[in-house]
Amino acid sequence: MNRFVEQLAANDVAELGMPGSLLAGPTAAMAGPTGHGLSFELAAGNNPAEFAQHFIDAKSEKDSLIKIAHGTTTLAFKFREGVMVATDSRATSGNVIASQTVKKVIEINPYLLGTMAGGAADCSFWERVLGMECRLHELRNKKRISVAAASKLLANLVYRYKGMGLSMGTMVAGWDEKGPGLYYVDSDGQRLANDIFSVGSGSTFAYGVLDSHYRYDMDIEEARDVARRAIYHATHRDAYSGGVVRMYLVQRDGWVPYPLEDVGDLYYQYHPEVQLTNRTESPLTVVPA
Amino acid sequence: MDAQFAISGRDFVISVTDKGVARSIVKMKHNEDKTWQLSSHTLMSVSGEAGDTANFSEYIQGNVRLYSMRNSQDLSPSELANFIRGELAAALRSRSPSQVNLLVAGYDKGKDEAALYWIDYLSAMAKVPFAAHGYCGYFLYSVMDREYTPEITLEEAKALIKKCFEVLKTRFIVDFANYTIKVVDRNGTHEIRQDEL
Amino acid sequence: MSIMQYNGSAIVAMAGKGCVAIAADKRLGQRALTVDTEFQKVFPITDRTYIGLPGLATDVKTLYDRFRMRVNLYKHNEERTIEPKTFSHLVSHMLYERRFGPYFVEPVVAGLDKNDEPYICGMDLIGCINFAKDFIVGGTASDNLYGMCESLWEPELGPEDLFETISQALLNAVDRDALSGWGAVVHIITPEGVITRDLKGRMD
Repeated sequence: MNRFVEQLAANDVAELGMPGSLLAGPTAAMAGPTGHGLSFELAAGNNPAEFAQHFIDAKSEKDSLIKIAHGTTTLAFKFREGVMVATDSRATSGNVIASQTVKKVIEINPYLLGTMAGGAADCSFWERVLGMECRLHELRNKKRISVAAASKLLANLVYRYKGMGLSMGTMVAGWDEKGPGLYYVDSDGQRLANDIFSVGSGSTFAYGVLDSHYRYDMDIEEARDVARRAIYHATHRDAYSGGVVRMYLVQRDGWVPYPLEDVGDLYYQYHPEVQLTNRTESPLTVVPA
Repeated sequence: MDAQFAISGRDFVISVTDKGVARSIVKMKHNEDKTWQLSSHTLMSVSGEAGDTANFSEYIQGNVRLYSMRNSQDLSPSELANFIRGELAAALRSRSPSQVNLLVAGYDKGKDEAALYWIDYLSAMAKVPFAAHGYCGYFLYSVMDREYTPEITLEEAKALIKKCFEVLKTRFIVDFANYTIKVVDRNGTHEIRQDEL
Repeated sequence: MSIMQYNGSAIVAMAGKGCVAIAADKRLGQRALTVDTEFQKVFPITDRTYIGLPGLATDVKTLYDRFRMRVNLYKHNEERTIEPKTFSHLVSHMLYERRFGPYFVEPVVAGLDKNDEPYICGMDLIGCINFAKDFIVGGTASDNLYGMCESLWEPELGPEDLFETISQALLNAVDRDALSGWGAVVHIITPEGVITRDLKGRMD
């Protein structure tokens, strides 16, 4: 490890050459084509991406320095009243549940939401950058950015780093002049528009429930119920999803969050026939052997 | 990549397997029955490594029938499941382990109830109300969790299986197209066509 | 992921005053996928000796079947029921028999001996016995269980308090482990008999 640090200190640190960048140098911030002043230091060598992969555990398989949190269930769908966005709230590091109260919905601005799956740091960083880009768009053009444009911006942003170990599967949901908008953007640079998306290790379970109960002309309560149950069933079967159901509804006036619902309580609400209690109300009755 | 799942009610089990056999990139067959009749009231569905499936199943079927003939008596579903598990576990630590995933669906005439056993290729076994093997479990467990009740009727179970087909059709990359659907109940085993669901 | 984590499990045993307790979660999984939430991992060996088998589910079944046979043979040969300590050494021996191709379980034994004294012990997968006076843990949540037991356990607990302690230890341990939980079962072994209770736990 020390050798690695020394090596880094001894060598000049190379820089990722962004296409169209005007400036170069280890510390100079530079203006990329989208105008964000970002630069990342890279290890010296022929293939900095490969070098970095050595220290990154993207699939929770290795015992590396950088552990990318995996395991999530997120979903979003368009329906008559707007876009419903729902996520679980579990973060795991190996088998250990690191948190049950993670916020996997990123509030980009009052009209745009992003969801988080894959690398938590990657998602929160790039969606924060996206927030900045959206604000700049507003200032420059005197009107809000469309969901399509915002998601394209994010896709372009991460596409530059393709193959370098970014890990994110995100949904961008919002409302613009054309109405509700919903896009899926991932770290491969893939960008898709659709009415229903689910991302993460629990997504297959969520899709199962979602597909068999979703209708476009649901009212808000029905939509909430479908979203809640899709997340709940995913948390029940997927070990790496759990915690609380976090839900948002996006409408003309922007998004509103709903109160959090603990998945631990939902199971016993959905299965009222299960009568168990952990309290010892009566003294333990001894069954003769 | 096979589709293999089953749902049990109080007095019946429905077993579903796809009919496709693929080798490399070629579909070799579209009408393979991947279930094995072990006794009048017990059915075993099998998926896994090509070759192992038929080999292991024939071995089990042969020995179970031999037992029935020698003792003039059929084994109950739980006895069968435990026998199968034991044989698979012994094979696991032998020089030639069988990589097969099994679902044992039966009707226990003694107890007057249906039974479904899930056994994976490592021969872990569980008695379950509904079960699936392989990738299709990732899509179907949530659907079955959502709709299942212990009081489910045969008609409701058929509707649920239809729902499962629908989910596999929309979300799974493999198109299974044809399925073997078999019901085990008090009267024994009978097959139902897909359009009868 | 190690083979010990493939199915997921959490088992804990605790000694009390004239009683012992053993508790286990109920999950059977295939890595991240939960297959069954009623899987039995703790088994009665005699009226007052129980064994918990955390680890690979196939070996849980295989070993329990083999233990049952050996304990029945013991009973026939010796015309008495096996003591927890004797049973533990039987288990240890059976595990070491497979030294070079082990069963992937770390057994936890809990019982009362003929003088009604608590006996608990744990083993590694090739049969090294770890005898303890306080508690024994095993499974994918064992790190968490150590933490919980270290802070909750105290000496001389009666059956009532022991139930509360072991339940809290297990439930809170599995709530921080992704691969175990989905309900739990507790057995309190007393000279008068065994009390078994199912616990209400988080199902995610």
